[in-house]
Formats: sequence, C-alpha cells, structure tokens
Amino acid sequence: MGSLRNVGVVGLFGYTILFFTFIYLPIVLIVAYSFNSDPINMMNWSGFTFDWYRQIFGLKNTVSENALYIESTEQLLNALRNSLTVAAFTTTIATVLGTATALGLYRFNFLGKKFYRVLLFAPMLMPDIVLGIALLIFFVGADVSLGLKTIIIGQCSFLISYVFIVVSARLAGMDRSLENASADLGADEWTTFRRIILPQAMPGVIGGALLAFIISMDDLVITYFISGVDTQTLPIFIFGMLRRGIKPEINAIATLMLLFSFAVASLGLYFRSRRG
Amino acid sequence: MGTHIVQLERATKAFALPEGGTITALHGIDLDVERNEFLTLLGPSGCGKTTLLHAISGFVQLDAGKVRIDGDDVSDRPPHRRPVNTVFQNYALFPHMNVGNNVGYALDIAGTERKERNQRVGAALELVGLAGLENRLPRQLSGGQQQRVALARAIIARPKLLLLDEPLSALDRNLRQAMQIELKTLQAELGISFIFVTHDQEEALTMSDRLAVLNKGVIQQIDTSRTVYDRPTNAFVASFIGASNLFEGTAARSGGNTLIATADGLRIEAACSGGWKPGDGAAATALIRPEQFSLVGPGAKGPTIGIDIEQVVFTGLNFQIHGHTPSGRRIVAIIAAVRQADVASAEADGKARLGYDPAAVHLLPDDGTAAAEMAA
Repeated sequence: MGSLRNVGVVGLFGYTILFFTFIYLPIVLIVAYSFNSDPINMMNWSGFTFDWYRQIFGLKNTVSENALYIESTEQLLNALRNSLTVAAFTTTIATVLGTATALGLYRFNFLGKKFYRVLLFAPMLMPDIVLGIALLIFFVGADVSLGLKTIIIGQCSFLISYVFIVVSARLAGMDRSLENASADLGADEWTTFRRIILPQAMPGVIGGALLAFIISMDDLVITYFISGVDTQTLPIFIFGMLRRGIKPEINAIATLMLLFSFAVASLGLYFRSRRG
Repeated sequence: MGTHIVQLERATKAFALPEGGTITALHGIDLDVERNEFLTLLGPSGCGKTTLLHAISGFVQLDAGKVRIDGDDVSDRPPHRRPVNTVFQNYALFPHMNVGNNVGYALDIAGTERKERNQRVGAALELVGLAGLENRLPRQLSGGQQQRVALARAIIARPKLLLLDEPLSALDRNLRQAMQIELKTLQAELGISFIFVTHDQEEALTMSDRLAVLNKGVIQQIDTSRTVYDRPTNAFVASFIGASNLFEGTAARSGGNTLIATADGLRIEAACSGGWKPGDGAAATALIRPEQFSLVGPGAKGPTIGIDIEQVVFTGLNFQIHGHTPSGRRIVAIIAAVRQADVASAEADGKARLGYDPAAVHLLPDDGTAAAEMAA
C-alpha cells in the first residue's frame, strides 16, 4: 500500500514538472536566446551579449545589419511604435465607451435590455477571421483608406465588449443599497455616481483597460486584415519575419514584451483582487 | 405646525408581480407618529412594513395618499430632499471610505465647514462608543461596530426622524439585546422620533413606546406594547405577539360573564371587563395567554381545563407545559419555577388541571374582517 502510494506521489510530481516544462520551456528559451551573441543561428550558443537590447534602444547599430535580413531595426521599431499608438488609442476609447455602456445597463432598465446585452457579448464569441474579413469589407465598401485609423476603429469594435464585461462583473457585485444610503444622506444622483458608484467600479475599469491594452498589443488576425499594406504593428511585423528567418532582436523584443505583459497582468490582478 | 412628526394619509402602494397581477403592499394606511416617540412596525415578511418605511424615506412613491413630515407634504420629494435618515438592514456602509468619511458623508454633501464637520464626526462616533476609529475601513470592524457606524452616519445630520430597517437582525442574541437598550437610550438622548421595523415580536415589545402590527398592507392594531399584548384587537395580533391559546366558538351570556362554547365541547368563561363584548350567539375567539394558567387541584373553584401532558420544558425562569385536551386541542401553559413540586407531580401523572381567571380572558371578534368593522 505504502509503496504504491509513493509511486503515485512521485508520478504526480514528475507529471507536474513535465506540465510546467511544456508550458514554460519555449518562453524560457526565447529569453535565453535574447542574450545569445550568435547573429545568424540562434540555436548555436556563442556567448552572452546585451547587443540585441542595445540595438533596440538605438545604442548600437552595426552587428546584424547584413544582407540576410530584409527588415531593418528601424522597421521593427516603427512597428513597435505603431502598436503602442494603436493600443493607447483603443484602450482609451474602449475603456470610456465600455465603462459607459456597463454603467448604463447597470443603472437603467429599458426595452430590449437583454438582447442588447447579448449583442455586446457577440464580438467576443465571433471567430477573429470572420470579424477581420467583415471589417475589411466594411472599410473598403465605405471607402476608408486602411491604416492606423482603421486598426484603431476595428480593434475598438471588440475591445469595448471586453471592457464592458469586466466592468459589468464588478458592478454586479456592488451593493445596491449603497445608492439608497447615499440618497438618504442627501446626495443627488450625480453626486452618488461620482462619490459612490464610480469609485466602486474603478478596480473593474482599470482591470478592463489593462485587458484591452494587452489584447490590442497582441492582436494579429483582425489587425492583419485591416492594417493595409504600409502599416505594420508588432505582431504583423514578427509574423512577416518568420517567413525569412528570425532576426535576433526579436528575442529581445519578445523578452521585453513578456516583462511588460507580466507587469500589466500583475497590476490587473492586483486591482481585481482589491476588494472595493 | 401639528403635533405629529409624520402623518400618512390613506397611503396606498401596489407592486406589479413578475408573473402578472399586482400585490398591494399598503392598503390606504393612516398613521400619525408622535414627536419623540419610539414607534415599532411589526409584522411577518411581506406585510408591508418595509414599504411603509420606504414611503416615508422616499424610496417608494405612493400610488395614492400623502406623506407629511413635520407638517410638510413630501409625497413628491425624492429621498435626498427629505429630512429623515435611515439605518439600513445590512448597514450599507460605503466600503471604499473610512469610518470618518462614512459618518461625515451627509455633512460633506451639505458642504459643512471642515472644522465643524470633523468635530461633529468625532462627537457622533463618541455617542455610539467608537471614538477615535475614524481611519478604520468598514471591513476592519465587527458586525456590532459596523452597526454603530451606520447609526452615527444616520444621526449626524440631525434628522427630524430616524428610520431603522431591521438593523439588529444580523447581530447575535447578546449583542442584539445590548443594542436594543442602547437604541432606546439614544432615542431619549437625541429627542427625535424613531420608527423601527422588525419581525421579531420580543424586540418590538422591549423597545417601543407604541407598536403597530401590520398584516397584508393594513395596520391591525397600533397601541402601547402593554395594550397590544393584553388586549389584541384580533386573532392575528394575538397569535403574532407572544404565545397564545385561542378558543374560537360561539358566545352566550351566563350571569355577568360570557361563555364561549367551542366546537369540541370546551366552555371558556370570560369576564369581559372593558374591551369587546360579543352578543348572544355571535362568533368569538377567547384568548388565554400561557402565563395566565395555574395548576389547580380537583376541588378548585373557578373554571378549569384538563389536559394530557406531552412535554414539560424548564426554561430557567419557569416551566412550559405542552399538552392537549381530550379532544386533541393543543394547550401551552407557563408555570412559575417556584411551583416545581406541583409541576413534578402533574408530570408524573401525565395529566394536569389548568385554572384561569375569567377576568384575564380576552375576547376577540372571530376574524380580521370583524376587527376592521369594529374599528370603523
């Protein structure tokens, strides 16, 4: 009995190790390669270097500019800039509209409210490729030239739903009698909104904004359809690189993005866990 | 202005039910609340007591009728423009604000000058025994402390009237009893009227100057605790307040007294001093409170009821004897603890003879309809 039990414990332990290796090994490798000084074959470890990081920040500009790569570091940084610009705009717009929608549905009852709520969930359930094609057809049909502008509009069309859901979940957990208490103590509706409802909803709003930011930075499929030929975001740029070989700077960028995502996600979790 | 702090005139409110139809929560209620009185609204859940409270605070708009507070018709005013404050059932403290900001909320809204505001917050907290806890968050307080913060928050703006919506229901028994006394003291100290909603009859009897018993959107009786207990106007009030033995039957005159003959052959004798006197042959219900019974021997004078004992419970203060008559009618009697020897021998026999004083028997019209006719 005892030995059987031990076998079970060891087996479970081994399985756990394998499980986490499976999930995290590729990510650990990316981080490791970002410090590998071999510019051509990253599988071949040829020493530790910070060169790729220096290169990203424009501190060094010599090592890998060779004919093997069509893309320049300049292009890569440009894609990163585009991604950050898009994410900044979409996060702001989606957060404002998503929060307003959630508050509206929380506060008021109207005909077709349930249907309206279902409509808000739909963009999240729709396959990305369908949404991407639909948006492309729409923009072309409406004669809007593709670029940063269309990426921002397109991403907002589904990010609003994400923010809406996160803020709604927060509001659903809110005690309705707080509004009564506020009114009872002399506050009109606007004051109650400002001093009671909004501060209570805030962790949800911040969580929703962080989620929107991460999804925006990360989105490939939908953005690919509506970005046009001249505009590249980071995911599109990286995807394009894959066809010709991976530039070593990409590992450094991936590592930095990883750090950044980790920080944002931690912040999000912190706000979510903070009981209002 | 008039002497009443609150006057409800034919207050009526019906709610639509989700499955269709409506339910009448307030059925043309007239109510006058005296200044400086502790009035309790008591009733089973769904009786309309909370709706009545909300009609005064403004969270419920009446379908018909008027609400006057201190003589002013406030029927059309929203809650934030009525000079009343409420202690909510679940306290409804603002979780993102510390105790000081919770208590000072009404003053902050009113724009009270900072120095005075802080002074009054300190004073209010001191009044409820929480001096110096301004910087704590509500979730760092015990249930009893949260209750006190809610109380301090509701009285800081010096309302003309304080409404309390089952505020003690979440507290454990000991704390609840301590808070009952404290609330009563606080009410006397503040010199304002309290309207207190509860479904706990013991709480209602303990605290109130007057007690209003509600059922189905109608005030069944409103009077002092003592009168409501001793002289309930109908069977609903009698059975809702305190334990009671009710004998429904037909009245007949017998000498100076009235006899109630029940269908199962009991004859209950009532003196009917004051209160309702049924005519010959009228339907009536006799009420005998359990503590009105005494254990008597076979040769006792006066009316008696014989019972078979099912169970004797010793509560510390007294014995509760649960039994039934030969016809199966359930009877509860409470016998003082000093009569231990008699109770023991009756318990050994399995039988007891219960005597009562006809003067202590209270007669009720047979149902609520008759009570309403009598009041009109």
